[in-house]
Amino acid sequence: MTILKVSNLCKKIGKKEILKDVSFEINEGEILAFIGPNGAGKTTTIKCILGLQKMTSGNITINGFDISKDFVKAISKVGCIVESPDVYMYLTGLENIRLQASLYDNVTEEEIEHVIKLVGLDARINTQVSKYSLGMRQRLGIAISLLNNPNLLILDEPTNGLDPEGIKSLRELLLKLSRQKIGILISSHNLSELESFCNKVCIISEGKIIKESSIETIKQVNDSKYIIKVDDTKKVEKLLTEKDTIKDSQYFEVIKEEQEIAQFITKLVKNDIKIYEVRKENLTLEEAFINLAGGQNV
Amino acid sequence: MFKLIKTEFIKIFKKKSFLVVSLIFILYCLFTNLIYLSINSGTLNDPALDIQELEIENNKLNLSNPDDLNQYVSNLTTIALTKYTEKYSHNTQKYLIEHYLKPVISNYYETKYITKETKNLANIEEEITKIENLIAKENWEYFTNENISHYQKELQKELSLPVKSRYETLLKIAEYRLQNNIPYDETHYLHNALNDIATDITEYYNLKYQENLTKEEQARYTYITKELQINKYIIEHKADIHNNSNLRAILKNFAQEFDLFILIYVIMLSGSIVSEEFNKGTIKFLLTKPYKRSTILTSKLLTVLLAIPLIVLFMLIIELIIGGLIFGFSSLSVPVVIYNAGHIITYNIFTYTGLSLLSNIPIYLILGTIAFAISTIMASTSAAITISFLVYLIGNVIANLAQVYKFKIFKYLVFLHWDFSYLVTKGTNPFGFKPLTSIIVVGIYLLFFLCLTYIYFQKKDVKNV
Repeated sequence: MTILKVSNLCKKIGKKEILKDVSFEINEGEILAFIGPNGAGKTTTIKCILGLQKMTSGNITINGFDISKDFVKAISKVGCIVESPDVYMYLTGLENIRLQASLYDNVTEEEIEHVIKLVGLDARINTQVSKYSLGMRQRLGIAISLLNNPNLLILDEPTNGLDPEGIKSLRELLLKLSRQKIGILISSHNLSELESFCNKVCIISEGKIIKESSIETIKQVNDSKYIIKVDDTKKVEKLLTEKDTIKDSQYFEVIKEEQEIAQFITKLVKNDIKIYEVRKENLTLEEAFINLAGGQNV
Repeated sequence: MFKLIKTEFIKIFKKKSFLVVSLIFILYCLFTNLIYLSINSGTLNDPALDIQELEIENNKLNLSNPDDLNQYVSNLTTIALTKYTEKYSHNTQKYLIEHYLKPVISNYYETKYITKETKNLANIEEEITKIENLIAKENWEYFTNENISHYQKELQKELSLPVKSRYETLLKIAEYRLQNNIPYDETHYLHNALNDIATDITEYYNLKYQENLTKEEQARYTYITKELQINKYIIEHKADIHNNSNLRAILKNFAQEFDLFILIYVIMLSGSIVSEEFNKGTIKFLLTKPYKRSTILTSKLLTVLLAIPLIVLFMLIIELIIGGLIFGFSSLSVPVVIYNAGHIITYNIFTYTGLSLLSNIPIYLILGTIAFAISTIMASTSAAITISFLVYLIGNVIANLAQVYKFKIFKYLVFLHWDFSYLVTKGTNPFGFKPLTSIIVVGIYLLFFLCLTYIYFQKKDVKNV
């Protein structure tokens, strides 16, 4: 079942187009990694979904409710952290959770204890938040976003400030939640960080969705990266495609399948280029993805 | 809605700035009480005269010169009186020395040095000793009885109406003084009231029976009438209403003394309740809760509207505790007396304080709403607080200007309408507006700022950091 459906979302501020025709979907049990560099429009998209910013045109439905018409119903099963987990610094962790919980109907004391344990904050929950580290505030934010038993969880850069241990437990938590038929949207500027989290990836650049596909498709990519050392890279320039990059005067990288690389090396030899070294490396998920998207620089 | 308001209250009352301001208020309250305590500490402090200086001056005077001689006698009198005052230092004694001993002493030195009728001196000395004995025993009743017999003697004569009325009143005052045992103590409110009546009564009857009063005389007559009425009330009800050094006096001035603090609370709360959430980013959690934006804004507005009366109540309780500890509570039974157009109006002290505070509500509402609007539109706490205070200051300046310059445009400004304190004293608006007109003007301003706030808040984007 589709939980979140974003269609043709456009956002203009003044004359500047921040978002151009952004469309994607999240279904039950899906974890979508929303990837893009800073300023690509990730946070703006998320804010439009949550009704924090008004869209210029387009349509967003959550659980079948249009957010511009039925905001209260649409938002009631959503948990979120936007930008950073901004809570009331002068209150303790528990006071913050209680405060947020009291704005929902029927959040019991057991449920509050449950989410605190879930994010592993039980030891410091009575400390003032101003004394928390960013990682602890992320955990607190996640606890708050889980208070209303959401079926759509939107986390904007949740790995910020988390230590490896924290990232690991966040992954376990999200995988567990996705098995409970929750849809999750996580944004990051770094896909490699989210590789192990997600089962769907969506890349946004300059306000446009470049590519949306499942993680399996990407993993099926056979291309590898070859780092080649030659006498002078100037001589190879004309032989390269736009996927390939020159590192310095001797090293360059090409992305090819096994069959292609043999032909490519033959071509180099024919052009009288001296080859000192050819090293094969597996593509990271991000590189594979960019490759799939046609080599656009993200 | 109720849940939202509850969380808003938690946010306000746990905030440090709120606690700090409240702490400062308690200190401010304590100092205000101490100032009231120091207003009169019970005894009269006349500036001490330097007797030696007068003696040196006297030595230099040329006694053959009539002017110098007069100065010499006057100095001798002052020296003698100062010595008596040092010897008999009770308030009543001082009064008796000033009013009954001074003429005799003055007479003594005049007789001795100017008229030089030495045969009378023994008589006068005897008189001085007699009065001094009476003063030493604080036997003020003697002087009152003397006065009574003097007035009675006068009243048997053929007198003009003003003079007759005057003696009748003076006689009544003296009899009252004896019956109620009121010594000539200038720190005693009943003595002061009696004394004030005795002073004013001559002028009052002169003006009353005079025809064709000039404008100034008419104003003077109205003023004296008012003073007499109030003093009469004090005597009849034994109400110490002019005492400025008790809990009642502070409560009576509560709305003015603590006006600034109430204003600080109003502007601080309404100027930060929206913008703080935007500045700290906490608005994101709030706006993604299942409530309409208008509901969230309304709950914030209601929170301020509920918090301010609670805070004022807190201020009153703190004042009652601090003031009660310093002054005791006995003065609270004394009413507040207001004279208006020939009538005495009395209020219970708590009613009066409450009404004064209520009459300030339009000012707080307008300034609070302005702070609330700026806080929402500009998302800046400092701008909201600064601009609201500036509006308050400019408002006061314009209200003062409007008393001098009668520009038409002024009558549309809320500053001429927002002060309703004249209703408490049963007076009229200083600019001649009817209360209903003022209420409508204030209402229109409130509506305008609130609409502006709601429209902006509905549309406002939470900007990316």
